[in-house]
Amino acid sequence: MPPRSDIAMKFSRAVLGVGLMLVLASSASAADKAPITYDEHIRPIFRQHCFKCHGEDEQKADLNLSLFAAVVKGGSTGQVLVPGRPSGSLLFEAITQDDPAARMPPNSPPLAAEKIELVRLWIEQGLRESAGSRSMAAARDLSFRPAADVASRPVGPPPMPGQIAAVEIPATRRPLPIVALATSPWAPLAAVAAHQHVRLFNTDTRQPIGALAFPEGEPFVLRFSRDGRLLLAAGGKPVQAGKAVLLDVQTGKRRAEIGDEIDAVLAADLSPDQQLVALGGSGRVVKVYSTLDGSLKYKLTRHTDWITAIAFSPDGKRLATADRAGGIHLWDAASGGILLSLAEHTSAVRALAWRGDNRLLASGGEDGKLILWDANDGWPTSTMPSPHAPQRAPGTYGKLPSGVLSIEFAADGRFASSGRDRKVRLWDASGRALLAFDCAALPTKVAFAHDGRTLIAGDASGEVHFWPIAPGPAAKK
Amino acid sequence: MTARFKLLLALTLLIGLLPTGALLAAAEKPTDAGTPSFRRDVMPILFRAGCNSGTCHGSARGKDGFMLSLFGYDPKGDYYRITEDIVGRRVNVAVPEESLLLLKATGKVPHTGGELFTKDSVYYRRLLAWIEAGARDDAGPVPEPVEIRLVPERLIFQGARRREQTQVLARFSDGSTRDVTQLARFFSNNPTTAQIDKDGRVEAGKRGDTFVFARFNRFTIGSEVIVLPDESNYRWTNPPASNYIDKLVYERLQMLHLLPSELCDDATFLRRAYLDLAGALPTVEQYQKFMADTSSQKRTALVDELLASDAFTDVWTGLWAESLRLMGGGYGPTATDVKAAQAYYDWIHEQIARNRPLDEFVARQITASGSNLTDGPVNLYTMLVHSPKFTPKSFAADFSQLFTGVQIQCAECHNHPFDRWTMDDYYGFVSIFTGMKRKIGSEPRESYIYNDLSAPPARHLVDDRPMPARVLGGQQAIAAGKDPRSALAAWLASPTNELFSRNLANRIWAHHMGRGLVEPLDDMRVSNPPTNKPLLDALAGHLVDSKFNLRSLVREICTSRVYQLSAEPNATNLGDDRQFSRARLRRLRADVVLDAIGQATGIDRGFPLFPPGTKAIQYYPRTSGSTEQPTAGDAFLETFGRSKRGSICSCETKPEPTLSQVLHLMVGGTIQGEVGSCTLVPQLLAAKAQPAEIIEQLYIRTLSRKPEPGELSDMLRLVNSAPRDRKAYDDIFWSLLNSTEFLFNH
Repeated sequence: MPPRSDIAMKFSRAVLGVGLMLVLASSASAADKAPITYDEHIRPIFRQHCFKCHGEDEQKADLNLSLFAAVVKGGSTGQVLVPGRPSGSLLFEAITQDDPAARMPPNSPPLAAEKIELVRLWIEQGLRESAGSRSMAAARDLSFRPAADVASRPVGPPPMPGQIAAVEIPATRRPLPIVALATSPWAPLAAVAAHQHVRLFNTDTRQPIGALAFPEGEPFVLRFSRDGRLLLAAGGKPVQAGKAVLLDVQTGKRRAEIGDEIDAVLAADLSPDQQLVALGGSGRVVKVYSTLDGSLKYKLTRHTDWITAIAFSPDGKRLATADRAGGIHLWDAASGGILLSLAEHTSAVRALAWRGDNRLLASGGEDGKLILWDANDGWPTSTMPSPHAPQRAPGTYGKLPSGVLSIEFAADGRFASSGRDRKVRLWDASGRALLAFDCAALPTKVAFAHDGRTLIAGDASGEVHFWPIAPGPAAKK
Repeated sequence: MTARFKLLLALTLLIGLLPTGALLAAAEKPTDAGTPSFRRDVMPILFRAGCNSGTCHGSARGKDGFMLSLFGYDPKGDYYRITEDIVGRRVNVAVPEESLLLLKATGKVPHTGGELFTKDSVYYRRLLAWIEAGARDDAGPVPEPVEIRLVPERLIFQGARRREQTQVLARFSDGSTRDVTQLARFFSNNPTTAQIDKDGRVEAGKRGDTFVFARFNRFTIGSEVIVLPDESNYRWTNPPASNYIDKLVYERLQMLHLLPSELCDDATFLRRAYLDLAGALPTVEQYQKFMADTSSQKRTALVDELLASDAFTDVWTGLWAESLRLMGGGYGPTATDVKAAQAYYDWIHEQIARNRPLDEFVARQITASGSNLTDGPVNLYTMLVHSPKFTPKSFAADFSQLFTGVQIQCAECHNHPFDRWTMDDYYGFVSIFTGMKRKIGSEPRESYIYNDLSAPPARHLVDDRPMPARVLGGQQAIAAGKDPRSALAAWLASPTNELFSRNLANRIWAHHMGRGLVEPLDDMRVSNPPTNKPLLDALAGHLVDSKFNLRSLVREICTSRVYQLSAEPNATNLGDDRQFSRARLRRLRADVVLDAIGQATGIDRGFPLFPPGTKAIQYYPRTSGSTEQPTAGDAFLETFGRSKRGSICSCETKPEPTLSQVLHLMVGGTIQGEVGSCTLVPQLLAAKAQPAEIIEQLYIRTLSRKPEPGELSDMLRLVNSAPRDRKAYDDIFWSLLNSTEFLFNH
């Protein structure tokens, strides 16, 4: 296992020179030293363990590890190394296999942890041949460009509920866990899921200011439109019925009802132009409906398990969808054509969030990982291996639930996450840890107030938390 | 009927007739009172309703997107999956009766498993109350069941009484006892004889004996059910008994209203004893001598003579070699070179020849370290599991199956569903072997087997805990720092360890009687009880008392009247195939058939790579390659179902007759060629033997008996046209070798 280090350290060290090149070294101590090279560090390891079958004399699977050029070229199955991405490199997979029958070198104990770590760093740093070589990993500039979506700011005063009709609040034994939470991008307004209705809060006063009816059941998804005028509520009754509705924030009126599903909707989003609603659930299919006439525009059938998260990019061009088996796909939002498949999560994905400039997609899941993807080519620019791993009690063993449950970006590029360690964490735009808040119950959802000055979370006991936070860098200017 | 037996029967009938409630007044009844506990109340309901069974959500990947641990071995994980995995979906603490868990179980929403209970059931009320109270996990440890009982322990049905309610009682770690009949699951081993419904009511079926079982938590327990015929004219005939084996079999037969068959005749006994004890037919001379003997003790004397023979050693060396998967190869990494196999074979042979106590025989192998080529017994660690690398899990599972008859491998992934074994037991047992290593010896064929005491123990699958080495069912971990194999050897052979002695006794019994008291031999578990427990206990007890003396136990068995019964059924025992009221017809083992053909024809068949004169029972598979692939090594032996040694399972030896066996004998090379080149008939003809004499010789050589007068006259008619031509005699010889009487031990 590579030593775990604070993600913040990783990012702060990764900021190099002109532009922000996210070179990701997860070991602070290793990153301090000179880069790992084939000649100095890796060839001796290969010589000791691999040359017998993959050397000058014999090249099993046409793979020769004794020459740098041949290493890069790969073997009969193609390249065995992807510069910058150990998790995508066949060679790295082969030496870290759990199954002794599939592991390299064969019929031997696994390589020593230090050696595996050197190989990992070498790949991550871009397969340098010698100290004078350049990294083969592509340099990428993913710095946040604020104001990219300021254009969608509506004209006039931000939409707040006006005279909305009182709705009947059904009596419940205890509050519904907060299975959904959303904040208006422009108004001090939060929408919170409750049994058969949506509670509305003023995020400045933290007071409830009304409710919207959702007699269909539990609203498992809440999303504001980019202009803040509409609220998408989707959900239903598990294994009975599911639906998405569009509610007018100012009047409380229903503007549209979309879908007629046989199970509750578990994930949904409204396209920025308000033309499309994408939704999914236990049926493993993402359905994209027109909001104009409720017709089904297209279906996305590539997922192999329940759909757990759906998010349109802020510019509306792309649609990200995720499932319970860890799969994430990026689609062309207009046609439903597949663009990219992002395969890195090994367990259920729980959250997808786009950064406002459309260039970065964040995902989090039950494998504990929070991954920041370059949305252009699907490259995992940064993997936070376990940002929500709980503290282990002494004398205990085994895997603790460490899933990331919710991720949201603020307009200023900062992001927040909640997870199974019962903490809500605030990160700066480059992934540096800023703050952490404790919750007594599982914090199921997080959101930022429109001005980025309040962090909001909902938990499994039905409580809504408001924490004041300093405004982000963009707002300070 | 013995007085002891009468008393036993009277008592069991009495218990059977008592209203069960009277016995159980002390047991706490389930109530609706109090806040339900997840582990104590909710988990048992999921078990009872079948939610966590293997075909439903308990399957390895769950069902319809929802997984539970099989029969509830992981309550913590189940709590997570029910309440926290997808918050708000499966339980709804806001509106409890809308919880999917309840809607699914009552069939109110589409559910593959249908309706499991109704809204007015105690199960529904308890689950609802748990969700109403917030669907919380238990704050601390809750009392665990430590034992369950099913009462009555025996049910005997005769006459009009056809139904009876059973009751399941669980004792908990806090000392309390609870009536868990409503939370248990029930099944019958033979529903034709007795059915048991989901509430524990037994209904008698056809005549016979079987067991019904209750399961609760990780426990399974059985009660015997005996269904007697209505006829009242059954009378015990008081057949003589030679020893305790006869007494115990008779007690069982009386209980089931069966009568034993008659004693078999001398010729049948002679043939049976030779085939079982020597793996061979009696010669004509041995036949003549035995038949001429008028001593009343001649059967016992024959058994003693055979026990002392080299052939007996060969038979048991072969049986052990087969069980231990002894094979020789030429592939380095498996460390199973022919030289290693021969060293192992020779070592086993020597132990059997010396009549080394079986506990020492096994202990010596368990604790062995050293070279596979020179220290035969270390090959337990190269051959029980044939693989390039020593694999502690496979080895531990196979070891247990062979030496204790217990299949613990289920407990790798979940507690054994039908026995007492838990994952803790499994991983503790695996840890005994986690240090076993091989290193390359001084030549390519050689490996050194040793135990690396610094190796870490196995880790528990559920929570990754390191599991210190423990013997099966042991409460204490084996002290660290010493070779845990010594503790294993000591435990295995300990007189108090029934697992080992019962397993050996059952296997030895099965070899001679054609059926184990537990079948399959290597599936001893609570839910697969012996057909005659007192007998198995007595045989195991004899092994312990005789210091695990193989020959002593074989002598007990073969001198019993039960061993010497005829295969001819009587009016009562025609349907009996498990109580040993008559001899079983058994097809000869593959190697014994081959040797018998060789013996009858006088032709040494031979095996490649083995010296001339090697008998089939002495043969083990040899190959020039890897021994990882199963092989019988010889086409004839393979056809006749000799173990291919592909796994440790006793089912590798296939006793059933097949079409290809019949065809092989009729038209294959083995008999055709050998009858043709057999010199017996020409010799007899040359010696001017009479046709009747020649036919008699052929009968004795093949069937170990003289022809019946009718048979003889039929045969004579066949040879009459050309009494000095070998052709007709060859045809008779061929027919005898193809007869079922030749192929069977009867």
